[in-house]
Amino acid sequence: MVMDAEQLDRTFAALADPTRRAILARLALSQASVGQLLEPFAISQPAISKHLKVLERAGLVERGRDAQFRPCRLNASPLANAAGWLEDYRRFWEMSLDRLDSYVKVMKAKEKSGARRTKKLR
Amino acid sequence: MPVEPRSSAESVAEREFLITRVFEAPARLLFEAHSKPEHVQRWFGPKGFTLPLCEMDFRVGGRFRFGMRAPDGSDLRPFGGEYLEIVPNERIVYTSGWDDDAKMIITVSFVQTGGLTTLAIHTLFASIAQRDEHLGRGYAGGVGEGLDRLEEFVR
Repeated sequence: MVMDAEQLDRTFAALADPTRRAILARLALSQASVGQLLEPFAISQPAISKHLKVLERAGLVERGRDAQFRPCRLNASPLANAAGWLEDYRRFWEMSLDRLDSYVKVMKAKEKSGARRTKKLR
Repeated sequence: MPVEPRSSAESVAEREFLITRVFEAPARLLFEAHSKPEHVQRWFGPKGFTLPLCEMDFRVGGRFRFGMRAPDGSDLRPFGGEYLEIVPNERIVYTSGWDDDAKMIITVSFVQTGGLTTLAIHTLFASIAQRDEHLGRGYAGGVGEGLDRLEEFVR
């Protein structure tokens, strides 16, 4: 399991907000200016900027460099990394639970043979 | 390496993860398997991995420290945490993470019906767990309660 814990934290924190998820969904369609992003949301420019900062820090959104028009663009690779990590995490537990299943059978057998021995001694 | 899902696993939100599986064994045996190093070392981790570092102070407030070893002999980064809640044969709640890193909260529950026990492992990822700590919502009254309040917050 290879992962950058801090990057994952930032990705999950970025996703843990419905407005930010909606911004990402909009940018998945095409890039957009801050003004264009404001349109569907009943929130202020400072609020949108705050959300965009979180998304930029998480590497999920990139801002264009044109001074007049700084489009926001989606960068999906942190999401793919997070998805990959989740899959690794699931596999980790699947394999551990497989081993637990086998081991618990050993525990049961030990208990049974222990009980039989106790019965014999009486 | 493809691993067929044999359990019910879902990503509830991008912050939580739940995996469940039914075992043909009493809850007390499964709980026992979780509570002592000599048992935990026999199953924890992927196939081919061992757990040479397995320190457990299995009580509320106690800490644990695990270190896995890969099949090629290389040692993986140790991780650990603290036991927040222990209800024998029912529930274990603990934090987990790499040293100096943010922690996840893991809740393992055991529900027995007849000869079958459903084991559920719920993971709450570090970013939300950290936020919860910062809000001062402690673990008084059990994490079950804490998770309910957390759910209200993130909805």
